[in-house]
Amino acid sequence: MEDLNELKKIEQYVDQCMKCGFCTFFCPIYQEELVESSAARGKIFLTKQVLKGGQQLSDQAMDIIGKCLLCKACAVNCPAKTQVDRVIVGARAEQVRQQGLPLVKRLIFRHVMANRRLFGWTVKLASKLQWMIPGKQGKMKHLPDFLKALGQGRNIPAISSVLLRDQVQEVNPPWDSKAPRMRVGYFMGCATDFIFPETGLKTIEFLTRHGIEVVVPKAQSCCGTAIYFSGDLETGRMLAYRNMEAFKDLDYVVTTCATCSSSLKDYKVYLPENDKQRKEFEDFSKKIKDVTEFLVDVLDIPPQEFHLRKEFQGKTITWHDPCHLVRYQNIRNQPRRILQALQGSTYVEMPNADRCCGMGGSFSIYHYDLTKKIADRKVESVKATSADIVVTACPGCMINLADHLQRAEMPQQVRHLMDLFE
Amino acid sequence: MISESVLVELQNILGREDVLTAREILKTYSYDGTSQWTHEPDAVVFPRTAEQVSAIMKLANAHRIPVTPRGGGTNVSGGSIPVLGGIVLCTTKMDKILNIDRENFTATVECGVVLMNFNTRLAAEGLFFPPDPQSFLAATIGGIVAENAGGPAGVKYGVTKQYLLGLEVVLPTGEIIQLGGRTVKNVVGYDLTMLFCSSEGTLGIITKAEFKVNAIPPAKKTILAIYDDVAVAGENVSLVLKSGVTPAKIELLDNWLIHRIEEASPLGLPGEADAVLIFEVDGMAEAVEKEADKIIEIARMNGAREVRPARDQDEANRFWMARRAGFAMIFGRAPTVLAEDVTVPRGQIPALIRKCRELSRKYDLEIVVMGHAGDGNLHPSVLTDIKDREHFARAEKAVEGIIEAALELGGVLSGEHGIGLEKQRFFRRALGPTVTDLMKNIKSLVDPNNIMNPGKIWD
Repeated sequence: MEDLNELKKIEQYVDQCMKCGFCTFFCPIYQEELVESSAARGKIFLTKQVLKGGQQLSDQAMDIIGKCLLCKACAVNCPAKTQVDRVIVGARAEQVRQQGLPLVKRLIFRHVMANRRLFGWTVKLASKLQWMIPGKQGKMKHLPDFLKALGQGRNIPAISSVLLRDQVQEVNPPWDSKAPRMRVGYFMGCATDFIFPETGLKTIEFLTRHGIEVVVPKAQSCCGTAIYFSGDLETGRMLAYRNMEAFKDLDYVVTTCATCSSSLKDYKVYLPENDKQRKEFEDFSKKIKDVTEFLVDVLDIPPQEFHLRKEFQGKTITWHDPCHLVRYQNIRNQPRRILQALQGSTYVEMPNADRCCGMGGSFSIYHYDLTKKIADRKVESVKATSADIVVTACPGCMINLADHLQRAEMPQQVRHLMDLFE
Repeated sequence: MISESVLVELQNILGREDVLTAREILKTYSYDGTSQWTHEPDAVVFPRTAEQVSAIMKLANAHRIPVTPRGGGTNVSGGSIPVLGGIVLCTTKMDKILNIDRENFTATVECGVVLMNFNTRLAAEGLFFPPDPQSFLAATIGGIVAENAGGPAGVKYGVTKQYLLGLEVVLPTGEIIQLGGRTVKNVVGYDLTMLFCSSEGTLGIITKAEFKVNAIPPAKKTILAIYDDVAVAGENVSLVLKSGVTPAKIELLDNWLIHRIEEASPLGLPGEADAVLIFEVDGMAEAVEKEADKIIEIARMNGAREVRPARDQDEANRFWMARRAGFAMIFGRAPTVLAEDVTVPRGQIPALIRKCRELSRKYDLEIVVMGHAGDGNLHPSVLTDIKDREHFARAEKAVEGIIEAALELGGVLSGEHGIGLEKQRFFRRALGPTVTDLMKNIKSLVDPNNIMNPGKIWD
């Protein structure tokens, strides 16, 4: 029998499940497929069989266990508080340990994504080739074939012609040139860097205007979620240490990507190999703030200081809760507090605002058909609000929401919260 | 094993996508909510219509293949485990709510509808389905009828059979039959509808049900009472009922659970308290106020250590969350839990709890007691580990003691979980040979080849 090192580490979470089946109700995948193996109970039972030796961690088994959005809807609603996410990540890590990473992922994770320069270059190259495929209406364009292969005909947003990293200073003092009230690192995250640089620029501008010195270290890397959630814990740790090194000696580290903020906070959950590492990751996590909680909980900015941009005046706004914000970080009220108080726009709560949009990072590459079905429910929720703008705080959700709203020929724009302000 | 040709026929009936045979997937249909048994089926099928169910049953009957019905797989007596292999007929894709009749207070639903979804749709019409098995987030209608499910609301509202008006059933031989109707009163020959209610999937596949539903009461209120002696709590239950107040729910939690609740999500319950009762009254606002006051008065005058009416719905929800988390807390504390479901006449609850404590000492085991004090349905749970043979043997002895005590006190083997695999060994003793044989004869009349959920209820 295999020694199952990575799986042994999560055995205690496997044992938490008492098979009540409530996860079926909350699982977006189960709700589409209505098959037991889609839900956490089935995946955990199968993992348990592997641990007991009655089942190999075969590709077939991993197809079942690994087919998860990691939206955590089951975990937060589990009466036994089973940490399903740790089971899934542990099983993927065991697979990587046994079989190594598949070649494509190995290339992408270990060489492209882990190397920020190379990743940027690859993405840029893609952007230069965009003209090869005729663009559809509006802002969306199809990417060239080699990326389209990943996207299976999705509406993928254009790559910015100038990356965020090439547009910002490393140190951005407060606008009024007074002594800064605090020094804050800005973690841009890959999607903001490559696709939504204006969100980053807005955020830096907003913070410096509020008396903060914003540091944007060039040495920052990818947060690592896509990498270590795929089971490559080793590269995940490497990135964690790079980011911890890049963001030393700051009061806070703020990010506008819900996935990044939860990832940076949760190095301590998924990555530590020993107590020393756990301590280091825990210390780092204390400095991390998603921008939504930073504005409300740390800066406590009064509602009248948020000025809506002209183009959004008179519009109806609704909010989509990113999984990584609402369930990974329990941030639910902060963005609503801002949106509900905004002068000049109307806020409408959408039904099931906290339901996963179906993106799940690379899940949407491997299971795009399911992503579409899950996203369609989100589109229905948006439809029910008759809002003009869907606001959220995660570039992953933004890409996915825009894709499916466009597919459904809906008129709504998708914006990051920080894009709304003057 | 199922032959290749039968699999092809199943695929012809259902399409390839709705016939699953991959080993790994079969494993995920080898269990239910219990922790003692697993057995893999040879195939899992997902019919979408009664006609497809009929075709599957005819095929299975011709080839003598066992068929085990399964919905959400939430049952807690082993009923949906395919102990003899064969086909698991999974009803989750028959999930349409066909009709809600606001004028006549009835609803027609397919067997795979999840109770929570049913109640959400009913609520939009100001209606609800009162029986409330605590697995409502995943339990499906077919199983709810087949197990005659109930829950905390049993004290006032009764159980599933009180709401069941009619059924569509596919017999093991493939015929599709309609039973009962859409009226509350109906005396036309034997009441075969009730035969299928609590049949535990051994007589046919329930494909559709017609229910009576109620209007949602306009007001409700929750009261939590804390006791130093569980016997006093038991007496309080009878005093409340004798006063003319019939609460919608009266739930009991013991000292062990009080400790776990305080660890997990504290309600400020005193650690030395012996028992907690949670009451809910519902109805017209004025009546609810009066009834709540009456319960508070009775509890205060009759030995409750503390009585806490919930200040608002949030606090009420917290009390009920604690109750709902009870089973999770129990199952989280032991590798194997023998969750009993005995039911005694309401006045005998203190006696049954005393007996559980005696057995706990005698066999040196943890026995947690919670349950529906209002209707006498208790869930004493024995914490054990099936891998520890000596410990497990003691646990089984304790279960036997609980069941003997319940029967002696004038109670029954199971209130709402059913017999399944779990209580087979007590079945004949509880009912006697004549009744057991009568049931077996009915079974063989309806299912001559014994293909329908074989191996359940009796050995």
